[in-house]
Amino acid sequence: MSPSPPPPGQQPPPAGARPPVPPGPARTPAWSLSREAVSLWTVQGVLGTVVLVALAAVALLVLPDGAVDVLRWVLPPLVLLEAVLSIGVQPRLRYRVHRWEVTDEAVYTLTGWLSRTWTLVPISRIQTVDVTRGVVQQLFGLASVAVLTASSQGTVRIPHLEAAVAARVADDLARRAELVRDEAT
Amino acid sequence: MTGPVPGAPGWDPAHPAPGRRTSPRVMLVHTVTFRQARSFVPAMLGLAAAIGSNIDPSPLGIAGLVLLVTVLSLGFAALGWWRFSYADTDSAVVVTRGLLARSVRTVPIDRVRGVEVEAPPLYRLFGLVRLRIDAAAGAVQGSEEELVVDGLRPAEADRLRARLLTRRAAPAPVPGQEPVPGAPGPAPAAGEPEEEFARFDNRWLLYSPLVGSYLAIPFAALGALSRLTDELPDRFTPDLGQPDLSRLPVLLLAVVAALLVVLLGSVIGSAVVNWGFRLVRRGGSLVAARGLLTRRQTELEIDRIRGGTLSEGVGMRLVRAARSSALVTGLGDATRRGQLLPMGPRREAWALLTRLVEDPGALRRHPPAARRRRLVRAIGSGVVVLAAGLVLTATQGWWWVAVLGGVLTVLGVPLGLGRYASLGHVTGERSFSVRSGWLVREQVVLQQRAVVGWQVRQSFSQRRASLATVTACVGAGSGGYACTDMAADEAAAFALASSGRWAGTLTPHP
Repeated sequence: MSPSPPPPGQQPPPAGARPPVPPGPARTPAWSLSREAVSLWTVQGVLGTVVLVALAAVALLVLPDGAVDVLRWVLPPLVLLEAVLSIGVQPRLRYRVHRWEVTDEAVYTLTGWLSRTWTLVPISRIQTVDVTRGVVQQLFGLASVAVLTASSQGTVRIPHLEAAVAARVADDLARRAELVRDEAT
Repeated sequence: MTGPVPGAPGWDPAHPAPGRRTSPRVMLVHTVTFRQARSFVPAMLGLAAAIGSNIDPSPLGIAGLVLLVTVLSLGFAALGWWRFSYADTDSAVVVTRGLLARSVRTVPIDRVRGVEVEAPPLYRLFGLVRLRIDAAAGAVQGSEEELVVDGLRPAEADRLRARLLTRRAAPAPVPGQEPVPGAPGPAPAAGEPEEEFARFDNRWLLYSPLVGSYLAIPFAALGALSRLTDELPDRFTPDLGQPDLSRLPVLLLAVVAALLVVLLGSVIGSAVVNWGFRLVRRGGSLVAARGLLTRRQTELEIDRIRGGTLSEGVGMRLVRAARSSALVTGLGDATRRGQLLPMGPRREAWALLTRLVEDPGALRRHPPAARRRRLVRAIGSGVVVLAAGLVLTATQGWWWVAVLGGVLTVLGVPLGLGRYASLGHVTGERSFSVRSGWLVREQVVLQQRAVVGWQVRQSFSQRRASLATVTACVGAGSGGYACTDMAADEAAAFALASSGRWAGTLTPHP
């Protein structure tokens, strides 16, 4: 089965590039997310860290002296570690892991960063295709596609595609699902 | 037996024609049970409190009060009966009701998922039944999606049931071939032959104490009883004196008595629900009838069955007993409706299951790495407690925490081994099966056409052990059934063999 050509704005990774992740139990889907996804995850990491720093500061200020002296020493390094992970490491790692592909017969994604999840749904069993644009996503011109089936667990989510690509993919999937639909359950 | 249907062709739900009424006898049932009047009780209590002091406490006064309440109840029941009507057409069933505010509810027949015929004791006395129409739409859950037609004569209930399920008797549409619109389906299941699938042997009720949900029944009953005795005025409670529990024979007697109550209670409770369980095939449906006091008849469409489960609790495994249920699309987790055999010998349960779904063969074990992983997970919490206990023993002298941790760790070993022994998967020609769980071991057998997607998950530790968890997503039951910790390099092949050609997308490039 030959995969459909990648959507515009999606180049397959250059031939010499290192493999995105070590080989897993299933094939790695062909296409990467939009490069902007890294920026978006970084912004989310920064926002999360700001909240965490505020909480930690409040906790240290409010707690009476001598009550939990250990916290004074443990809390700042922990917050720092979290900041490095969520801003410096996680966005890049996620981008390297996340892949998606629409083949002749199925929608296929790979998501996660530490644990990885491959999800495959045949186009004949698609019930609904959703496109959502979150507030932060809109800043970067991104959108997410969710492909729903009759099973609550059989949902394929492709996060952070360029908005135009997402709309095109959703249209294409909805149209093809209509054509090849069998019982859908 | 199909009578003329009110306004059958061109039926317009916006202008409901006068529909059918339920049997007038239902008024008597409702009078006795204060069905409608019950909702006015709070108001009545307020009223009674306001004029309470003036009521004559003589027997005559009380009799008058009882008469008044009964007449009121009869009045409400009559109103309720008079204001309730239903009509069934080729395409929909319409129920109109409401004492003051009117409500008209239209349910398209092709949205009807199941019909349950129920006959509580009082209804049986009056020769009536109650019909529940399950018309849950999409993801909406809850009892408000149920339509109840209360108080029908059995013959009329049969007619309505057959009418609602006519569509089900039609052969499954061939894929790619549109069904002819307006084509009449085959005649409703009037005198269709019945084929018996399973007959419950009432001796199997003895398995009840081994099933958790039935074991809970006596406790619930005791709770209700103790609340009742608390409410009773003191002069009505007999003075039994305080038994001396410090004496050993008394204590033993009490324990034995309590055990007996629990055992008997669970058997009785299960008998009330499951007595005379019988599963028959009637046309395209499986009909299950059960119940000692309230007789219930539920119906499942065979075309919608996508698989089944065989569950064996720890206790049931000891006596080789099991229960089995069908996985039906659109039923969600409605376990009671899908039940094929509430409890029985494992052999019977399995035979019943494989009559509906092809037997895929003997299960294959998972690799030794899976056993290591189960063991590590099972003793993990015990080891943590043990470590904490050692620290606490040194600092606080709390040695019992360490002992507890040690016991948990040791107990974790058989638990982990048991959990590993449960794991297994197999692919047959048109079906496949996965099994897991220790407290309740559940084997799921699914038709290959049921799969609407695959999910392969690999955590960090699974990657190092070359394992993966493969979940088959299905539009029935809990939505997904996981094959935990199978060999990572077999995952894609298992998915491909257990569903359609499309799953070849998962196969890694050589």
